[in-house]
Amino acid sequence: MIYSITHLTRYTYGAIVELTNGVLRLAPASGNGQEVERFGIATDPVSQRLTERLDPFGNRVFNLRIEKPHRQLSIIASSRVEVTRAPSPTRSPGWESVAAEAIAIRSLDADCPAVALYPSRSVALFDEATAYAKRSFTPDRPIFDAALELAQRIRSDFVYDPEATEVTTPAAEAFDRRRGVCQDFAHIMIAAVRGVALPALYVSGYVRTVPPPGKERLEGADATHAWVSVWCGATLGWRDFDPTNGGSVQNDHIVVARGRDYTDVSPVESMILSSGRHRLEVEVDVIPAS
Amino acid sequence: MPLLLTEEEWRGIQAGVAQRAELLERVLADAYGEGRLVADGVVPAGAFTGSKDYVAAVRGIRPSDGRWLRLYAVDIGRGPDGRWWALSDRAQAPSGCGYTLENRLVVSQAFPDLYAQLNVVRLASFFRSLAAGLKSSSRRADPRIGILTPGPLSQTYFEQAYLARYLGFLLVEGDDLVVRDGRVFVRTIAGLKQCDVIWRHVDADWCDPFELNASSRIGVPGLLEAIRNGGVAVENMPGAGLVESRALLAFLPTLARRLLGEDLLIPNIATWWCGQPHERDKVLDEFDEIAIAGAFSDDLLGVSGRSSVVGSELSAKERERLRDAISLRGIDFVGQDIVRLSTTPRWIQGKLEPRPFVLRVYCAATQDGWRVLPGGFCRISDRPDARAVAMGEGVESADVWVLADSPVEVSTLLPSAESPRITRLLGNLPSRAADNLFWFGRYLERAEATLRVVRCLSARSVDPDTPPEPTYRSLDRLIGVLVGWGAVDPATPGRGPIPASEQGLRSAANYGSVLSLARSARDAASVIRERLTYQIWALIDRLEIALKPARARPSAGELIDLADEALTTIAALSGLFDENFNRGAGWVFYVMGRCVERGANTCRLLRQFAGHDATEPSLGVMLDLIDSQITYRSRYLVGMALAPVRDMALLDPFNPRSVAFQVNRIDEGLGTLPVLRRDGMLEEPRRLTNLLQAELTTERAEALNDARILTVEHKLLALANAIAVRYFLQGAGEGRAEKFTGFE
Repeated sequence: MIYSITHLTRYTYGAIVELTNGVLRLAPASGNGQEVERFGIATDPVSQRLTERLDPFGNRVFNLRIEKPHRQLSIIASSRVEVTRAPSPTRSPGWESVAAEAIAIRSLDADCPAVALYPSRSVALFDEATAYAKRSFTPDRPIFDAALELAQRIRSDFVYDPEATEVTTPAAEAFDRRRGVCQDFAHIMIAAVRGVALPALYVSGYVRTVPPPGKERLEGADATHAWVSVWCGATLGWRDFDPTNGGSVQNDHIVVARGRDYTDVSPVESMILSSGRHRLEVEVDVIPAS
Repeated sequence: MPLLLTEEEWRGIQAGVAQRAELLERVLADAYGEGRLVADGVVPAGAFTGSKDYVAAVRGIRPSDGRWLRLYAVDIGRGPDGRWWALSDRAQAPSGCGYTLENRLVVSQAFPDLYAQLNVVRLASFFRSLAAGLKSSSRRADPRIGILTPGPLSQTYFEQAYLARYLGFLLVEGDDLVVRDGRVFVRTIAGLKQCDVIWRHVDADWCDPFELNASSRIGVPGLLEAIRNGGVAVENMPGAGLVESRALLAFLPTLARRLLGEDLLIPNIATWWCGQPHERDKVLDEFDEIAIAGAFSDDLLGVSGRSSVVGSELSAKERERLRDAISLRGIDFVGQDIVRLSTTPRWIQGKLEPRPFVLRVYCAATQDGWRVLPGGFCRISDRPDARAVAMGEGVESADVWVLADSPVEVSTLLPSAESPRITRLLGNLPSRAADNLFWFGRYLERAEATLRVVRCLSARSVDPDTPPEPTYRSLDRLIGVLVGWGAVDPATPGRGPIPASEQGLRSAANYGSVLSLARSARDAASVIRERLTYQIWALIDRLEIALKPARARPSAGELIDLADEALTTIAALSGLFDENFNRGAGWVFYVMGRCVERGANTCRLLRQFAGHDATEPSLGVMLDLIDSQITYRSRYLVGMALAPVRDMALLDPFNPRSVAFQVNRIDEGLGTLPVLRRDGMLEEPRRLTNLLQAELTTERAEALNDARILTVEHKLLALANAIAVRYFLQGAGEGRAEKFTGFE
């Protein structure tokens, strides 16, 4: 499947902003069944040279710097990406052996499982999540089946409710309320999987939305999305699961960035010199090209 | 009571600590560099990544002089057989060596003779080498070195300020620094100046909001990029805290043999990381005879509030929980042998009691290799339990004296003869220091003005000679001034002069009360602690203590006494500044703060008490408030008249209380500050003072009116803003954006 994606972020400020400094994590990832055919970032006002680096998780990060006074800032990232993921495995190793393997892997590289085992800034481990995971991670169960079931249980046990949480809500709190958005569900699933000593990462990206039958696709109505990657042993590597939609990730998802939790991957992080408030609008279009 | 160690015993400690520092340095270089230890299976990757100070973003960076550790510390304890054990390592930003210096000062003054007779090895030369080491990591010959502090709210701020003053480094917060083109700069009143070396006291994850924790407001955006570019040396390197975790203790004996070809001179407590199946099983088997602790944190999952427990002491339920947790996530736990510590005498309820202690020893990377501070920071337990695991943080600290076999060479921080270049001023003043000195001046001046109003109000309210003023009501106007300055709650002034005076003096709820102003002054001063002497601090504290609510409903007389005492303290503080503060840029900002505030306050008082409706008594109040009664009476024999009072308060350049005098002093101060413009035009603050000077010099007192006085007041406030924009906000932007610059 090939997608054309545009992701617009627009800040409107209450007062003149003298200087904006920031980082952008907006480039779709290459590899693991994704091929980026084209990618570009345009900002208005124009940024100083956008320098690029790779972060420790292999994500492309751009530094933004706008020195001209402005009242509005638009950032448009557009790309064309081909997605052809391997089908779900029919067999996978037992999760306990994967846990043992994860610790023994002799690597600190970007895709190594060791960085994904521990609590992180916004994912603390808590007993309730571990107990919740254990109901799927029963002795000797194949890891892929257990993780898939966990994602499906989150989908059916939790209510999607954008009013219930904020971007900083801890996973334990969303878990208590049984409500939240994709970010909360991803954090909960990560806490659960790490609770049984398995490596899990947060993935940010886009998902293709299918309009209701008979309706036109609404422009800008798609959204950024978040899901979870679980390390399923050296042979299968990282496999993605979407607890918001309750399934494994196939060709409807486009990966942008991976990290220990939301704080490692947030798409736009900016700091401004100004005293006023600001308004933020985000519009995303994910259009299947073929 | 200091802990005494012989030179011989100390030599053993010294060698062991230096060896350990070198070992950890090499572990860090490998973990963030080549990665041989993980690739060869010597250390499991998870034993590194579990540390909250494992900073993956610094992998592949080579520190500017190749070092990860500049200052390292280790807690050691002595067993009953006299052997020393290493208990835990400090590599993030070891704290306490500043306290060691202070402790030494206190103890050596308490026992001067003893100190002299015992040949106690001195500390100063260690700090000299540490400073030289920090300098050597920069490529510039005369580098600018900053101590990066999380700010005055941090527990260790006092120590950082102390070290900055002792070593002559800048004390900077994240806000003071900006990254441009891969280099780090300090915002100063003369623009951005390069900062070559940063001695980091901000935890790694918080030191760069761009690459690390984006919610940090105490870091420097872009700092890691600057390190990568070689544009700055940060010490210890972010990520160095990695070697503090207990999990790593399990591997150090093996690592010592592999990386140094030696055994550890000071052994570790034997430790097993439960992330490895064999070790986990051993710990579970020997659960009752072993101490269990967090592998990477002090929170022991399942046993709240304890960082370390002994299996046999747990309840059946806790035991079950902990064993389950270890079976499921062994990576979070270590088992450790139980080591007993020897004791040192401690004075408890009138007698000496034995208490276990641990010693923190500091080690610095210098140009001559690792150097160990001869002494340290001794923490004595509050409990008699001598097991190392029960040590906790300890409650008391003691100085540590190393007794030399022969008389010691007396050394202070005097640098050796060849190095010093004569300097009279301390480089460019950081904008934040200038900002805080300016505000310190303003708060102090406002406190003084408020005190005079309160004093005048209390005195006149009980003075039987106060003439009745049916139409004018000076007392109400004095209360009105206090309300206008936020010293008195507008809802309560109706209750009369005495309650209003009391509120104005010491109501903590009102931001403009003298007590609140004293606190604001102290807050401003605390940010520049390293620039102020102890006497100044003592007076700042005294001002606040004197005003603290003691007795409810004081009489007018008591209020006058309180106000007088506070005025005397402020006078002493001003005197101390006049006598002792270096006449550099910092001084200028303090003076400008006082002058701007005094000028604006005088304008405001003039409009109240020497306005179009002034009466003879109200002019008397005016002269009281600006402390000019005596001068007036010596000049004018006719009694109170409007124009002479206005002239004396506003225009007279010879009266140190007049507005014109303030403006002249500000202009004079501005003239000594660095100029950024290269086109020969006046900078805005200077342009405004010149304008005001021209107006005030040519104005005639007889022609003044309320509107003119108000204009002067507004121009002074505009001048304060111009000063803030030009000197304080210099290149600001990354970080706190809001900054309020006006008083009302």
